Amino acid sequence: MTLTRRNFLQLSGLTAGALVAGNLIHWTADSAAVAATIDPSLHVLQRLTWGVRPEDLRKINSLGISGYLDWQLAPEQIADPAVDAFLRTQPTLGMGYKELYALAEKNDSSIYNALIWGRIYRAAFSTRQLYELMVEFWTDHFNIPLPDLIVEKTVDDRTVIRRYALGRFRELLGASARSPAMLYYLNNADSHKEHPNENYARELLELHTLGVGGGYTEADVKAVARAFTGWSAGSDVPGLFYFDDVSHDYTEKTVLGHRLPAAQGIEDGRQVLDILATHPATAQFISRKLCRRFVSDRPSQGLVDHTAAVFRASGGDIRRVLRAILSSTEFMQATGQKFRRPLDFMVAGLRVTRPTFDDPSILQGPLTTLGQVPFLWHPPNGYPDAARPWLNAGGLLNRWNTAMLLAGGLDDSIHVDLDARVPPAPTAVALVDSATLVVLGRLIAAADRAQLVAFVADGSGPQTLLTSDMRADKLPALIGLLLASPYFQWH
Amino acid sequence: MATTTKNRREFVQMVGGLGVTGLSRALFPSWMPRMAFRRADDRVGGRAAGDVLVAISQRGGMDGLIVVVPHGDGGAYYDARPTIAIPAPGKGAGAALDLDGHFGLHPALRPLKDMYDARHLAVVHATGSPDPSRSHFEAMEFMERGTPGDRMTSTGWLNRHLQSAAWQNNSPFRAIGMGAIVPSSLAGAAPALALQSIADFHLKGREDQIAALQQTLAGLYGTTAAAGALGTQAAEAFATLDLMSKLAATDYTPAPGAVYPETDYGYGLRQVAQLIKAEVGLEVACLDIGGWDTHEAQGSATGALATLLTELGQGLAAFYTDLGAAMAGVTVVTMSEFGRRVGENASGGTDHGHGNCMFVLGGGVKGGMYTRWPGLGADQLDDGDLAITTDYRAVLAEIVTHRLLNPALDRIFPGYTAPPLGLVRSR
Repeated sequence: MTLTRRNFLQLSGLTAGALVAGNLIHWTADSAAVAATIDPSLHVLQRLTWGVRPEDLRKINSLGISGYLDWQLAPEQIADPAVDAFLRTQPTLGMGYKELYALAEKNDSSIYNALIWGRIYRAAFSTRQLYELMVEFWTDHFNIPLPDLIVEKTVDDRTVIRRYALGRFRELLGASARSPAMLYYLNNADSHKEHPNENYARELLELHTLGVGGGYTEADVKAVARAFTGWSAGSDVPGLFYFDDVSHDYTEKTVLGHRLPAAQGIEDGRQVLDILATHPATAQFISRKLCRRFVSDRPSQGLVDHTAAVFRASGGDIRRVLRAILSSTEFMQATGQKFRRPLDFMVAGLRVTRPTFDDPSILQGPLTTLGQVPFLWHPPNGYPDAARPWLNAGGLLNRWNTAMLLAGGLDDSIHVDLDARVPPAPTAVALVDSATLVVLGRLIAAADRAQLVAFVADGSGPQTLLTSDMRADKLPALIGLLLASPYFQWH
Repeated sequence: MATTTKNRREFVQMVGGLGVTGLSRALFPSWMPRMAFRRADDRVGGRAAGDVLVAISQRGGMDGLIVVVPHGDGGAYYDARPTIAIPAPGKGAGAALDLDGHFGLHPALRPLKDMYDARHLAVVHATGSPDPSRSHFEAMEFMERGTPGDRMTSTGWLNRHLQSAAWQNNSPFRAIGMGAIVPSSLAGAAPALALQSIADFHLKGREDQIAALQQTLAGLYGTTAAAGALGTQAAEAFATLDLMSKLAATDYTPAPGAVYPETDYGYGLRQVAQLIKAEVGLEVACLDIGGWDTHEAQGSATGALATLLTELGQGLAAFYTDLGAAMAGVTVVTMSEFGRRVGENASGGTDHGHGNCMFVLGGGVKGGMYTRWPGLGADQLDDGDLAITTDYRAVLAEIVTHRLLNPALDRIFPGYTAPPLGLVRSR
């Protein structure tokens, strides 16, 4: 039986328009050859989503790459019914300090579980995929670890990170500087003019704005610490920001060559944030991090410079900065160069198999083993965003095991309906191709395809006819193998 | 063999010339699986093999001035720390445990005092990385890459050691980092394994499909260009799976009296001990113990830092007891990216500083204080912080040369010439 691409798609119950369009699949049954290149639309989706689904392909094919980017850069205009419904089941994510503190006093783990599951759920199932990627980026950038600050981080996630994820950098920075979660975490809340606590000041310069080597000195760190004395939280109203003029150092300071006149009060901190947000080193640092996230672990200096120029010219407008990166040739040519971090990997798997859980906190187990439970990176620099720290034999094994778990059949509390995901297929090879398209959005090299066919057909040929029992027996493991395959680790 | 009735020192002297691994088969429990990787004796093909090195990173910047207390400095120390200083030895409850009349250990480190008295623990103070960075991340990277101040170094000092050592073995356990990620000190061409749990290191799946799953995965990672850098890692994962299945087949029981803390650090040390005893070719193990960034409420004889020090000391003591005679072939070194400021801050904590202390523990360690003390006077400080008189690389170089038997210091610490400290015996 000779299978052409056209009748393959018919057989698998998908029309070309439903799953693929244009030259997405460079495949004919005669040679079973797969082009090494990936369609530009698929590449864009691999980077702008947490994992490519058939409906994403339909969307980008109808809007075009540029139109898709416009659409994703305006998340406030994208309906998100699944997340709206989800949020109604997670009241703590919408609570203020008073309610949260009351709940926390009862030692209620719901706040903790809701924050972590909320992070995963929205990444996996929100229609605002690029926005959720930026939420992740800024969560790392302004990292605040649980569990100590569970109440404050719940509010910080909503009112700092999510509110300004695509806003202007200065707004985001300012909100973070006033966030009780940050003030407590980096000890600024009880800094005092007599002995200023330098923790926040240093990380503000090193991690939030200028970056190491950004041109500041130890004297600048000390001056910034003095400028932020009195920025505190929780005096009269628990959890709320306030300026404590008794603790503040009102003397004159010099920060990065700028004079902060005496007697300024809270204005000292604001002036420092202005200086930092407009500093060329900040534009470089933020741009480099964004390029590393969206393009490759080692973006070219040219791209970083170009991005930094847009950052400065736009007054730190994050949408325009992103557009500059995502419209670049370097971005379009960086196919497959990013290694999925563990959370990226798990969420991408969830987008493929779409399981439901008796208790979603079961995911915290594999995420712990993989090393990336949301909000549990302790140091202030956020989870590593390059392949090297994640690339090792142990980590790979953990991915394989997570893949098998997400494909279903191993844990009774995880429910997966793979028949709803993978269309009917008459033969071993048809099932392999059909599952491959669902997981990867494209087909794979002939040798790899043969490996999977051998697994499905127990060593018999590609045209082995599949009974429904055989399908049920092999499909979960086949999906698991595809999620575990090298193809799925890079994007 | 009645080795348990002899004290360790006698025992080490007794077996000295033989090398402890020559005797290990008699010493280690019979259930322990034997692997092909570890040398059967100390010399293979005329080349000597070195100690197992256990490198512990105290992440966050340990406050060395509360760990090894310079009580002999009097007011210069106590005036700078009105609420968090440790009293001088003999000055009531919670006083320091005297080491040499000038320095004393934090009272939570009682187990280390015993090792010090047995002369298996060397203490180096006013040590650290000469780079002035007070940034955690930069200081850690500099320290782990072994080239302070040079941002271009892409490999770790331990990896360069593994690459240049005369002794090579192909065990997947040759170098491990306990945890989810491989630390920067092990970054480089020599393979290193990130290991969380021996018991959990197996492929999961339906039992009747496991063999086929593993075979298919091996095919996918072995044949495809898409595997890229993952191909090597996958091959290592399969080799490790094979060994691990043998190791995990039995429960590990530490030696009597060895009680590890029930923390990631304690669990990690316990597994390192298990791997050493199983002779699977382990040469270098890296562990982390975090929580040292004590900007507030660090406490003194009791409190947050004391709790952490208890964990640190308990872990080392359990490891020492667990390995027993095998400590003759093991060296443990502790390090932290920087020390903390001499003066306490408004929050009852300390901010990032400079000089710190390191511990070196093992059967080949001479023990004692190895410190050129710069003093705590205003004119003796480095930007308000304890100055560094011993480069941390001098401590590591000593271990590399005399315990790991690798003379290639020019590759491991390029551009650095280490002065001899004499804190270990030559193996």
